[in-house]
Order: sequence, then C-alpha cells, then structure tokens
Amino acid sequence: MLATPMHLAHHVLALPIQSANCLTAIGRQVSRLAFLLLSTLVLASVIGCGATPPAYFRHNMVESTKQRLNSDQERQVATVLLAMFGTPDHPVALAETGLDESKLHLAAGPVRSDIVGRKNGLYREHCAHCHGITGDGLGPTAAFLNPYPRDYRPGVFKFKSTERADKPTQADLVRILHNGIAGTSMPSFALLSETKIEALAEYVKYLTIRGETELALIRAFFELDDDAKGTLPETREFLVEETLAPIAAKWQAAPAAAIPVPPIPTNIDLVASIAKGRELFYGDKANCVKCHGVTGLGDGQANDYDDWNKVIVEADKEIRSGTEQASQASTAGMSPEQLADHRLQLVWLEKFHQVLDGDALTPRTIPPRNLRQGIYRGGRRPLDLYYRIYAGINGAPMPAAKGTVPPEDIWHIVNYVRSLPYEFDGLLGADRPMVAPDRF
Amino acid sequence: MHANHRYSVARVLPLGITLLAFIALPVCADEWGSVKGRFTYAGEAPVASELKADKDIEVCGKHKLVSEELAVGADKGVANIVVFVRDKGVKVHPDLAATKNEKVILDNKGCRFEPHVSFVQTGQTLVIKNSDTVGHNSNVATIKNPPSNSLIPTGGETSLTFASDEALPAQVTCNIHPWMKAWLVVRPNPYAAISKLDGTFEIKNVPAGEIELQIWHEKAGYISEITVGGKPEKIAKGRKKIKVISGNTDLGEMAIDANLFKK
Repeated sequence: MLATPMHLAHHVLALPIQSANCLTAIGRQVSRLAFLLLSTLVLASVIGCGATPPAYFRHNMVESTKQRLNSDQERQVATVLLAMFGTPDHPVALAETGLDESKLHLAAGPVRSDIVGRKNGLYREHCAHCHGITGDGLGPTAAFLNPYPRDYRPGVFKFKSTERADKPTQADLVRILHNGIAGTSMPSFALLSETKIEALAEYVKYLTIRGETELALIRAFFELDDDAKGTLPETREFLVEETLAPIAAKWQAAPAAAIPVPPIPTNIDLVASIAKGRELFYGDKANCVKCHGVTGLGDGQANDYDDWNKVIVEADKEIRSGTEQASQASTAGMSPEQLADHRLQLVWLEKFHQVLDGDALTPRTIPPRNLRQGIYRGGRRPLDLYYRIYAGINGAPMPAAKGTVPPEDIWHIVNYVRSLPYEFDGLLGADRPMVAPDRF
Repeated sequence: MHANHRYSVARVLPLGITLLAFIALPVCADEWGSVKGRFTYAGEAPVASELKADKDIEVCGKHKLVSEELAVGADKGVANIVVFVRDKGVKVHPDLAATKNEKVILDNKGCRFEPHVSFVQTGQTLVIKNSDTVGHNSNVATIKNPPSNSLIPTGGETSLTFASDEALPAQVTCNIHPWMKAWLVVRPNPYAAISKLDGTFEIKNVPAGEIELQIWHEKAGYISEITVGGKPEKIAKGRKKIKVISGNTDLGEMAIDANLFKK
C-alpha cells in the first residue's frame, strides 16, 4: 500500500499541511523534519540518478488489514507515525519516549562517514538485512533463517533479566548484541565499540516503541465511537498522553522490574542438587517434562507456535474459512445491501491474502529447547537459566515457575538442566536414553 | 431581561423545560433496570466435534472432551455469547459496587477450563486454580494488560488482577494440553453477562436510559447482524443501542445466522 516511493513522496509533501492541525509539540518537530526531508529531496533531484532513494518504514499491513482499516485510515496512522518518529534517515524522538536522539543518529540512516574515523548508519550496516529497516523482522535474508529474525514491533523480547511481561533493560539488549544468540543466526557484535552497541540498542528501542505505537493506533480505530467517523483524534492528549506515553513508560520501568535472584544454595552438594532438580523436572509442579520431553530432547510438544507466528497462523485460518464461506454463498437471493457487503468481503479476503504473501513469512512451529545440546539462546550462565525458568519466556509457550516453584528449587532445576548435556549412563540416569527414538 | 419585555409563554417555556430536565435528571439516574434477552442459532445446530487428548492420556483421555467453540443448546440457544455495556464511565448501582471484591474462579478441571468464558472487572481478582490430578499452565494472552503464563500444579492456584479493560476478550490456553481454550472478558464495570446454554443472559441493575451494548462470540467475533421478530438488524462491531427502562428490558429472541459463526 504505502510501499512505493510515489506514496512516500506524497506523504512527505503532504506532511506540513497534515501536521498543522496536529499537536503543536509534534508540529515543531515535524516542520524541522519536513524541512530536512524536503531538502533531502531537493538535493536528491540535484544530484540526479545514482542517489539512493530515501528509506521508508513499512506499514504494519497484517494488523491493519486484520482490523479492516481503509486506505485513509492507513494514511492517518502513517502520518501520525511520521510526525512522532520521523523516517529511517531522520529519526525523531519525542521527550516522552526517553530516547537519546544523538544515539539514534549514529545508528540511523545510510552507512556514511562525515568525520574521519566515525561511521554512521550502524543499523543498516549490521542489522537491517535481517531485522528490516522497520524492525519488522522482514529484512531480505529473513526468509532463509531459522529461527526468523525478531520482529520488534509487538514490543516483546525473550531474553532478559526482568519479569515476563516487562521490557528488557538496556543492559539486556546490550548483552544480546555483545554475545549474539547461540543456536540462531544472531551473531555477536563484540567487535563493535561500546558506544556503537549502546547506539544500536537505543535504535532497537526506538523501532520497538514506534512499532508498538503503530499497533496501538491501528487497534484504536476499533474502539472509536460512531460519531468519530473512523478518524482518530489528532490531539496531544490522545496521541501522546494516551498512546505513546504508556508504551514509553513501560520501557522506563524496566530497571525496576528486575527478577529477584537469591544466591545459589551452598548448603547442598552439587550431585544432590542435580538429583533434586531432576525430580522437579519430572514432577507435577515444574512439569518441564511435558514439553521438553522424557528424554530432555525437546520432543514433548511439537505443535505450538510463538506469539509472532500465531498471528500469521490465525490470520491464515480466518482467510481460509472466510474464503470457503464466501465461495459457498449464493448471490442470487441477496439484497443489494447484502451483495455490497459480500463484494467488500471478497475484496478484503483478497487483500489479506496478498498481505500475508508479501508481508509475512510462512509460520513455523516452535519446538521446546533440546536440553541435551548445551546451547542456551538466552545465555548459558546459571543466572540466565534461572531467569528463563523463573519468569518463563515472553512470546513463547514456556510458562513461569514463579509462585509455583520456590526460588531455591529453581536453582536445583538450573543445576539439573546444566547437567543434562553431560548426563551419561551411570551416575545419574541409567534409564535416560541419550537419543530420542525418533524426533519429529 | 429588560423591564420593557413581557414574559410571554413562548419565552418562559424553554426555560421551564430546561429547569424540568435538570430536576428530572437525578430521578432518572436513580432508576435501574435489568436487560434480558436470548440468543438463538439460525440454522441447523452443529454437533460439537470431539477433541483428541493426546497429552496425559491416562488422566485426560478419560474425559469425553468436545470442542466448546460453539455450544448450541437443545432449544437452539447459543451459549458463551458475551454481552456488555460499552460505555466505560457508566454509573454503577450501589448494590453492585461490592462485586469488585468478589473473586472470580477459573478452574482447570477435567482437562478443560471451567467456565469456558469468564468475566472479571478491572481491579477484581481472578483466581486460576487446578482441580485436576495433572499439572497445567494458564497462558493469559491479554493485550492491554501484561500477559501472563503461570504453571499451575495440582491443587495450586495463581491470582491475577487487571488494571485496564480489554477491547477484545483475551484467550486463555494451556500449552501443556493444547486443546484447552477459554476466554477472559475484562471490563471496567460489572455490566457484562455471558449467555447460558439456553441462550439467555441477564445484566442486572443497569442505569435507565439509552445505553449501548456490545455483543461478542469467539467464533463470530463482534456479532454483525441479529434478527429480531423476523427482521434482520445490522449491528456494526456488535454495537446495539437500547433503551433501558426501570424494571425489565427484554430484548426478546435474537437469532444469529449460522454463517456468522463460521469464522
């Protein structure tokens, strides 16, 4: 929809008019931004062919089609986002986001250097080919990777030191960038300077807050009163205080949401702790065995999806049943009104179908982790395993042991899980086969 | 008001009406009524498909589990249709104010959720417990509230509260037993009801006057059309404006086309 440069140009040029009746704080940012954009465009036309066209953010077409937004409403969302967040080349961060614009400028834009020894455009240099310019996990290489690169837009992150539903801290994001994610295509960026990694983490937050705001705006249409006539209020109160601020506040609250970690029990021998952990692993309380399997090979549950893939699976289901129903409907007995509805439905089904083809990857199930490999995506420190077991994994089926398994027992499970790759017949489990009969 | 103007009837009448309206307003607001109705299935009642319990077979396999996505009673009543008052700032009857302190129980029982659709107010406590002899987990996929996913062992329980209302009922699932599904309605006031297997529902003590109901079902989403007395009525986004009178407001039998449930 908004994917063509023509559309983008239209947006850019229409912006000052649109923002005039928008909120003033944003308005100021926007006029600065519009100036920058216009000058970029003028510059581009002077330089002529060979200049890179300005990058643009992709609209969240899956959610917006699911919510049946029309093209005017899609444009409304895009206009507000442009005013609030700017473009990939010229990011804007309102004070409410708590983001540091200077860090964003280091990460944003095309790869370039204006000062000797300083490189800008870090996100596009290191991240965009997988995570996409928009941070939607739809970069050009995404389809070839397993697991798929993270789509930041829902604001859900798995590997962190905070409670399940809370945001990761800056340190959590930096750790992932520094270490990479074992067992996935996410590499380590340990060779980048601290400044660069901090800038990239800030930019990831920026893309996420933008994506979350987009989702909130798209979903806000549903709750509008009839007399709003399908138009979101262009007030500071709605756009900033009600929509952006609560999202940003969650990010700012992350450090306060740290998981409490008691020290590793030292009054117990490691072998005894492992034995206890094993009992808990197979027991009804922690119930790890149900998904990670009797063998610990991750073969207990094969048909579940994570939250990102579930959205696509459900959309696909809706299209299938909708198409089946529409094809069975007989238009002969329909009133003109019903016929019009029927046609609208056919158009919507076709659009949704195309959107899933172009803006979504083929859904994949999420296998529970194979615990015999010794590869831990969220980090292999005992502390990382403690976080995963205590809080569960946000966005994934892994539930939280918090409140059910006492903290000390969680440490025993950590010890058992850490022993699993080395659990040979003899010491701990003569009855534990090393290889599952047939996995998947 | 100048001295040379006479106070004609035409001049005083609007003022009088305005005054009357102000006097009448508090009287109206103190009147409350029950909203009742019945949802029926227009079409041949579907047979609920059997669910295959392929986990914890020794326990869950004993129960005859059937899909609860669409439950149609003997009289074609449709169960588990959610009806709520859309206005978030609606005045709450004094008798209902205390309902926020009651606990809502969602049980894992017989390898299914009981009830299939729960209703909880913002600030009210939802207790998820487990009466089964196998362990469960309850993955509550709220959108505006922080989602949660706790392990719930045999005899265990977890308590949740919700700060914000939800525009859509949230799905509750068990990742250990993938066939288990339930729904959770979160509203900022006590004015919501879930239809029973005979299709009936009742929302008690709603303030008299015009209100907007919203009607939802898990298979149909927000219901887009109902037929009352043979007349089809479009209700966009499941929104239906009604006038509540003191006493009983019976919306009668509302038939929903079978095709709407085929989502």
